[in-house]
Amino acid sequence: MKIISCIKPVPDPASRLIINDSKTWIKDQDLTFVASEADNYALEEALRLKERHSGDVVVISMGGEEAARVLRSGLAMGADRAIHLLDPGFKGSDEFATAAAMAKAIEKDGGADLILAGVQSDDLGTGMTGTMIAEFLGYAHATVVVGVEAAPDSKSLKARRELEGGLNETVELSMPAVLTIQFGINQPRYASLKGIMAAKKKEMKTWSAADLGLTPDAIGKAGAMYEVKEILIPERKSKVEIISGTPEEAAAVLVEKLKKEAKVL
Amino acid sequence: MIFLVAEHKDNKLKSITSELLVFAQRVSRDFAQPVTAVVLGASPGAVADELETRKIDRVVVAQHEQLAEYNPDLYVEVLKGMIEKEKPFLVLMGHTTEGMDYAPRLAVALRKPLIAGCVDYEKQGNRLILTRQIFNAKMNMKAGLHGAAPYLATASPGAFPADEVESGGSAEIVNQPVTITSAPRRKVVERVEAQKGKADLSSAPIIVSGGRGLKEKQNFNLVFELAEALGGSVGASRPVVDAEWLPREYQIGSSGQTVSPRLYFAIGISGAIQHLVGMQSSRCIVAINKDPEAPIFKVAHYGIVEDLFKVVPALTKIFKDLKQV
Repeated sequence: MKIISCIKPVPDPASRLIINDSKTWIKDQDLTFVASEADNYALEEALRLKERHSGDVVVISMGGEEAARVLRSGLAMGADRAIHLLDPGFKGSDEFATAAAMAKAIEKDGGADLILAGVQSDDLGTGMTGTMIAEFLGYAHATVVVGVEAAPDSKSLKARRELEGGLNETVELSMPAVLTIQFGINQPRYASLKGIMAAKKKEMKTWSAADLGLTPDAIGKAGAMYEVKEILIPERKSKVEIISGTPEEAAAVLVEKLKKEAKVL
Repeated sequence: MIFLVAEHKDNKLKSITSELLVFAQRVSRDFAQPVTAVVLGASPGAVADELETRKIDRVVVAQHEQLAEYNPDLYVEVLKGMIEKEKPFLVLMGHTTEGMDYAPRLAVALRKPLIAGCVDYEKQGNRLILTRQIFNAKMNMKAGLHGAAPYLATASPGAFPADEVESGGSAEIVNQPVTITSAPRRKVVERVEAQKGKADLSSAPIIVSGGRGLKEKQNFNLVFELAEALGGSVGASRPVVDAEWLPREYQIGSSGQTVSPRLYFAIGISGAIQHLVGMQSSRCIVAINKDPEAPIFKVAHYGIVEDLFKVVPALTKIFKDLKQV
């Protein structure tokens, strides 16, 4: 089974995010990038499926050095090879343009039996790109997946989806298929030292827009379906009462207020 | 024309549909566009009748036995046909496990913009600008749409108040003939309640919830100790459950339990929208978090911006002392 695992580089969750001067994105020059958390669950699931069914896991990412970095981490975790979509023209791609380029790359690589992506990214968090890849390729798909069981012949699979209100739904999909993987489906492994060493010898293809047959109007900002007008810190509409003082003082004041003002104790 | 795609279950509208109606009614006023609710189903008559009572212009019913159950391939085929024919200005769907399952496919099939997880919108000249949250609700993004309509959007649950939906319309019900040509690539095998354990929090009067700010599993004892001193129950945010500090049954939020206790403590919880929708109707919310920008403070009534490792033990001590008096 050939499994492609999509990885998005995002700012390290511990970093302090500052909006840039044009208010169109954050200042990302000096940030450290890591794989988006949900994509780690997706890659771990890909590796487990490979261990059960044999085959290859290919990691794919778009971006500059930060993408190469998350791909190397993916190889160190156990992926067999990597595809790096690298082109200055890709900058400014939205979900649509990213999915279009990834679909082209996956086609160029000979397609896949299964494509996994995180349910949503830590930055934009829309949860669109994986499903869009499915439509571009004409593959079946399922979102918010918390369990995967593939048939031995790689022709179909069962995926358990998490619905609202504590419901789960099991769906059967024809393969090839795209799954977006929910947080918590597994415990992602850490790369071992051996894995890190082995990763250095693994293949990483680097493809530009031209390599994928994409013209400048189909990529980056020109290929995007929307533009960022403004990034802002949302206004606080609530009238939260912030209680100050030392921890002991604040705790005491809070308890008084809960008793006398809110009357909930 | 504004389309909203109704979500329904067991012949009843889901609450997200009322939120979509509110979104649609507001955009309708600002852009002078009529509203059409679209219902797909095998026999969605009761749902259409419920929609008819809302202040909208039209209910379009797409009835087909294969639509008895939600299916992404069939929803995309049917909706694509309707949208290409009627060319609505805006198509609204839920940012739910149903809406976000098909909306991205539909957008690609139509080659039209989709803004997912909208919490607000504005009118700039004649242009529609949609606002959504990014970086786990720490920031908002205003998005401008490229090209000509139709535009697609999903609405974040909880962003548009369902109780503000306007009724009293005389919507026309139109039955839309449906032909389905594609063979679905996916089918439902079963639908089950995920493990439901002892932690039924729906009627708990006091809940103390902990989040990732607790840093490690053993630190969750602080939450249990405070809950015990208060005589309350324990809840958790999603990352805590994902990290297996607590079983799934403790999770509060859109994919866990929805609660509205008298008193809710959010300890080290930043307040992703998925968590907020599960607890924001609590009568009194206390947030303890050292990040003053954390979105949890948007819904909290009282906040302490401090190190939880200092505040929580102080609170526990006060409540223990009170008990002994």
